[in-house]
Amino acid sequence: MSVRNGIIGSVYVVESLQMKGSTLRRLEALGLNVGTKITILNNKKSGTVIFMVRGTRLAIGAKIADSILIREDKV
Amino acid sequence: MREELNVAFIGNPNCGKTTLFNAYTGAKLKVANWPGVTVEKKEGAMKYHEHYFNMVDLPGIYSLTSYTMEEKLSRQYILGEEVDVIVDVADASSLERNLYLTLQLIELGKPVILALNMMDIVEERGMEIDLHRLPEMLGIPCIPVSARKKTGLDILMHTVAHHKRKIMDSNLEHHHSLQNKEKNGNHKHQHHKEYTVVYSDEIEDKIDIITERLTNAYPDLPNMRWHAIKLLEMDAEIIEQYPIECGDIIDHSYESQIINEKYDFIEEIMEEVLFNKDTKAAATDRVDKVLTHRIFGVPVFLGIMAIVFFLTFSVGDFLKGGFEVVLDTISYGVMHGLSYIGANKIITSLIIDGIIAGVGGILSFLPNIFILFLALAVLEDSGYMSRVAYVMDGIMGKMGLSGRAFIPMLLGFGCSVPAIMASRALEDPKDRFRTVFITPFMSCSARLPIYVLFSQLFFGKYAALAAFSMYIIGVIVAITIALIMNKSSKFKEINTLLIELPEYKIPNIRTIFIYVWEKVKDYLTKAGTTIFIASIIVWTILNFGPTGLVTNMSDSFGAIIGKVLVPVLKPAGLGMWQIVLSLISGIAAKEVVVSSMAVLFGINNVNSASGILQMSNALNSQGFTALNAYAFMVFCLLYTPCVATIATIKRELNSTKWALISVGFQLLIAWFAATLVYQIGGLLV
Repeated sequence: MSVRNGIIGSVYVVESLQMKGSTLRRLEALGLNVGTKITILNNKKSGTVIFMVRGTRLAIGAKIADSILIREDKV
Repeated sequence: MREELNVAFIGNPNCGKTTLFNAYTGAKLKVANWPGVTVEKKEGAMKYHEHYFNMVDLPGIYSLTSYTMEEKLSRQYILGEEVDVIVDVADASSLERNLYLTLQLIELGKPVILALNMMDIVEERGMEIDLHRLPEMLGIPCIPVSARKKTGLDILMHTVAHHKRKIMDSNLEHHHSLQNKEKNGNHKHQHHKEYTVVYSDEIEDKIDIITERLTNAYPDLPNMRWHAIKLLEMDAEIIEQYPIECGDIIDHSYESQIINEKYDFIEEIMEEVLFNKDTKAAATDRVDKVLTHRIFGVPVFLGIMAIVFFLTFSVGDFLKGGFEVVLDTISYGVMHGLSYIGANKIITSLIIDGIIAGVGGILSFLPNIFILFLALAVLEDSGYMSRVAYVMDGIMGKMGLSGRAFIPMLLGFGCSVPAIMASRALEDPKDRFRTVFITPFMSCSARLPIYVLFSQLFFGKYAALAAFSMYIIGVIVAITIALIMNKSSKFKEINTLLIELPEYKIPNIRTIFIYVWEKVKDYLTKAGTTIFIASIIVWTILNFGPTGLVTNMSDSFGAIIGKVLVPVLKPAGLGMWQIVLSLISGIAAKEVVVSSMAVLFGINNVNSASGILQMSNALNSQGFTALNAYAFMVFCLLYTPCVATIATIKRELNSTKWALISVGFQLLIAWFAATLVYQIGGLLV
């Protein structure tokens, strides 16, 4: 599933980043790597998502949200 | 001998770096641009005991790659000879992400000091950072500070003074070679006493080989290890500067792997140094529940903007009263002084009708502009500005733009120049291009005097409404143009918003004060330079004609110039040579429209009750009605903001052609819109 389909308040693990170039590097530099845990904080119908990664809140648009694949965090 | 140290401040966006920098330098900072690029460079100086520091505030960045102008420039500056000590400012309350830049800085091989800012917030939230272990793991001094509460500032400077030329503390102490024994049982690289970040064997093997080849090819290169890592990441700039043959070991970019391994180390650090992580939920989430609400987010934003403009017009007008008294007194005093010393009539006219009318008239709008910038500064410093990007993302998405494009548009209410520069933060080049194109339609503060004046003249008690409608029209025009550009574009644009939402905070008074003071200073400088000169030029062309000094302005050069374009602007209800002339002079700066009106009609203070009456009589006598005034305001809203904006568009789009196209486009749109208003309005009235 992609970040877009995450449930608000739930914790997920990043499975893969399906993008290239500077956007990928920017996300990686912000600490979003494969295996990183994220918490979905808010989302909108348009596909815009706010999530928390390593203590930072990031807002991303639909295009980027669709390219971040996640799975549920098994505790 | 007096010893001076060059200190560079660097850090992530929103880490409080500017507040810390301001705490040292106060308002005595020099703001300029970095050579060749439109990135702001702030410099300041201070003395601590017998040490003199020259400080540079580098742009806020997340990493030191060569992908963006800001990152490239910071990296080049730090690699250069000039810097003695780097102060890496980190938001200690979100240390994990901030440490990534720290690790990159340490790798650069210059003396680095970590300033752990916002320690007061760390304590408030009940978090604890092991300040003994952190420097051991990083190998650099880590100083807790709070720029807001002004604690730790002396200790930080003391450390800077004693840390020059000292790259690494000798007590670097890691455990990860032990921890990873199973994974890397036969770790060949015992670098743990030398380097803060030690990579996996695969990467370290490659670093060794590349370092050897670099040493052969460029024996004088300082910090071989860093250059080797950058070559492994296939960094375009370094490959170009130091090409070596290494296709056999670098088969692809190792950047992702290197980033991941750095973050692995950061996780290790966090486990050892951070305690009681987030025991108290951040207040930010509660505030965001309202401000970024699915449904209420947009209305809340519109409400906030309505308050901003209400304050700009009402409080600004309230403050204006005092200004007027001062201005009238000065004008009166100068007039009597000049007649007392028996000054030449022409000189008196130049000073009173030219300079005082032009410059003085503009100064009286300072309170409105002060309030507007104050509001924008509060929105930015509180952390709300980036939420606007999220809130507006859905609406902006319909125009094929990212929500982030709304931030330059919002800043455009202040001044088009920094707003256009802010579009650089957009991820997508096509987004950037379109944002640069539409931002000038957002009504900047220089257009405010025009609305304030003309709506007072013609709209009586609806003055504020008439002025506010300009802002709405500006936004509608910008949005419509973006929509059309999106529809006509071959590619369906998909949203690429990516923005950090910082914690909300109470705006720092000092930061706000310095921000607003910079803008007020700009305004005053503009009044003293551009508007001063424009007023003299306008006065001159109005008082001289082909026959020399003229008594009737309609024989002057100014009238001749204005009359040429009268037929063109007649359909828009602007077919008066005085109006045409003021519009032409307004390209120097939009305020000049008002100042040249003042000069044209010889009014000392256009913004006072008597000035307004004088102007209204002069315009009315020529058949200039409320409808003409509204068409005039619309034209002023939409046509080219000023020379500085044109220059900025040219620089940002890196194209003279596109800058000229945008100017032509703005003139066309302004003409069409004003004509539409005048013609349709004419049918209704």
